[in-house]
Amino acid sequence: MRIPLWRATLLVAMKELRTGSRDRQTVVYAVVLPLCLYPLVLWCLLQGSLFVQGRAERTEVQVGLAAEAPDELPPGLVLALMGPRAAGDETDGPLSVAAAPGGMTADEARAWFERGGRNAPAGLDAVLWIPARGAPGAAGARMFFDATSERSKLARDRLTPRLAAFARELRLGELEGRGLAPDALVPFGIEVADVAAPRDLLGTALSLVLPMLLVMMSVMGAFFPAVDLTAGEKERHSAETTLLLPVPRLAVHQGKILAVCLSAMIATTLNLLALGLSIGHLLEIIGGDAGPKLHEFPFLSLVAVSPLAVLFAFFVSAVLTGVASLTRSFKEGQALLGPVQMGFLIPALTGLIPGLRLTLPLACVPVVNVVLAFRAILQGEHLPAEYAVCALSLLLYGLLATRLAVFVLSRENAQFERISLRKLPSLLRSPSHAK
Amino acid sequence: MQSDPPASLPEPTPTPVPAIRARGLTKVYTRGRAETVRALRGLDLECRPGEIYGLLGPNGAGKTTTLRILSTILRPTAGTAEVAGVDVGADPLEARRRIGFLSGTTGLYPRLTGRETLTYFGRLNGFSGGELEARVEAMIAAFDMAAFADRRCGALSTGQRQRVSIARAVLHGPEVLILDEPTTGLDILAAGTMIDFVESRREAGTCVLFSTHVLSEAERLCDRIGVLFDGRLLASGTYDELARATGERWLEDIFRTLVRTGTDG
Repeated sequence: MRIPLWRATLLVAMKELRTGSRDRQTVVYAVVLPLCLYPLVLWCLLQGSLFVQGRAERTEVQVGLAAEAPDELPPGLVLALMGPRAAGDETDGPLSVAAAPGGMTADEARAWFERGGRNAPAGLDAVLWIPARGAPGAAGARMFFDATSERSKLARDRLTPRLAAFARELRLGELEGRGLAPDALVPFGIEVADVAAPRDLLGTALSLVLPMLLVMMSVMGAFFPAVDLTAGEKERHSAETTLLLPVPRLAVHQGKILAVCLSAMIATTLNLLALGLSIGHLLEIIGGDAGPKLHEFPFLSLVAVSPLAVLFAFFVSAVLTGVASLTRSFKEGQALLGPVQMGFLIPALTGLIPGLRLTLPLACVPVVNVVLAFRAILQGEHLPAEYAVCALSLLLYGLLATRLAVFVLSRENAQFERISLRKLPSLLRSPSHAK
Repeated sequence: MQSDPPASLPEPTPTPVPAIRARGLTKVYTRGRAETVRALRGLDLECRPGEIYGLLGPNGAGKTTTLRILSTILRPTAGTAEVAGVDVGADPLEARRRIGFLSGTTGLYPRLTGRETLTYFGRLNGFSGGELEARVEAMIAAFDMAAFADRRCGALSTGQRQRVSIARAVLHGPEVLILDEPTTGLDILAAGTMIDFVESRREAGTCVLFSTHVLSEAERLCDRIGVLFDGRLLASGTYDELARATGERWLEDIFRTLVRTGTDG
């Protein structure tokens, strides 16, 4: 009894998925990596930033205080610079002050900093210079720091707000002394309000990185199954056995592509799931009460990109399977698919170009179209015509790639020889297997 | 595996037409722009139902190409071939359903167990439900595979793999068995298993076409022998007919004489 083509295709695909699930490399790239990548990367980032922040908070910086006229330095300045700022300020941390020996001009203060602060107990990380009161051409205090030194930048970051707070205190004291209101010199206040909902902010942030990650995961999920089901099968000497299956060869080839596609889709779905949960959870941790909440994570946007993600997985699978079938061993397959993989990843970088939007012509460019469409969907843009063209073109490219893959898989040469670029013309002349 | 034909093996339906018939079979391989290799040059071959036919020939004579064409793995450049009355070019799918093919290069799927392999081939042959299960169990019993049927094929010994391969090839009760150097690479015990199996098929009425380098195998098993050289069938007949035609007594000498004639001619 003959079985229908669709059933034969499904049976082959299920068998390939079953054997793939027993291959360590395929499981790692299609399941383990997509599930663990984000939690692992985000945990490392969090731990890393906490470590760096903790180290910075414990680091004591030394600032040299130079003045044109040391006697005129405002009282309380040194204490204000050394004292801790408000709790929770990321720039908070120990700061010591070393006074310059005698009066100095601005150039002398700079030279003092560049020499490392002679007479200072340790090397100076920055120098604050205060001009003489009423000196001709006095332009206010100057701070010298070295942007190539992390310690110097830390000193700048700690010094700047403390100095501003001290100046504000002086100004308020002066106003009070003259009987003026604290806001007498402020004609109007400015309050900046961001009306973007946390959900939209998350969507925008995700739209920068997620499209490229989706492309990467699809390619990664399809890579090993594509090599395993073609070159790997030849290497294991089971390719001839597959040719003997009592079903149309088309069903066999379609079944293989379907299995690769399902593997890519599993990788993408697990990846989206892991991304949603880990980033949402992370934002809740670092955002505190005011930050976005897990329930505000744009899960619906992730669902909305799914149809395009499926079509893209189909396209990627057909291309990778077709190319991998030109090779005869796993090693050859991996070597050949490496550059092809880059052919998907490099256009995916367009998702990082600011201002580039999905237009009808761009919706026809493979890879670029799906990246820009992912981005637009995550940003909540409504571009129905562009999305439709993108979906149709992906379907068309997928079918075309499937046709090409089936053509290559059906050639006798591709089955029994390694096809180098030089041999491609002979592949075209090679007869196909019997159906 | 038992040397007697197991009663539970599916029996083929006898066909009135020749089990295998090839006419003017030609195969040209194209490698690169100018390089072509003529593997077969108008081969004519006929095997009867229930007959064991041995195809002998040196390396590169065209044995594997012939068997691959008959099993629809390759397409002939010219000529026709029929298996159990089915034209392999016109209806390759039906031809594949009527043959069982086994060679040194038809490996098993190493990540499937023996039982899964048989079930997979059974399903693709259109069996399902209880019938499929019964057939798989019959194969496991017939080839004494119960102890390792649920182990992955990649972890089986050569002899165990050989049994799974044979079971895979005969699961659907093919009318024709095509075996390409089936004992190559096997140890004495596994090769013995294969020889017993081929003998058992004669009694079951299956046509067996097999190629071999081992002349003693051909001498022991074959009803008729064909000597292939440079893509042409130099001679075909029973052992006695070939001995008479060449004036030689031993198969090794018969073979050498025929090949020498082919080289000179």
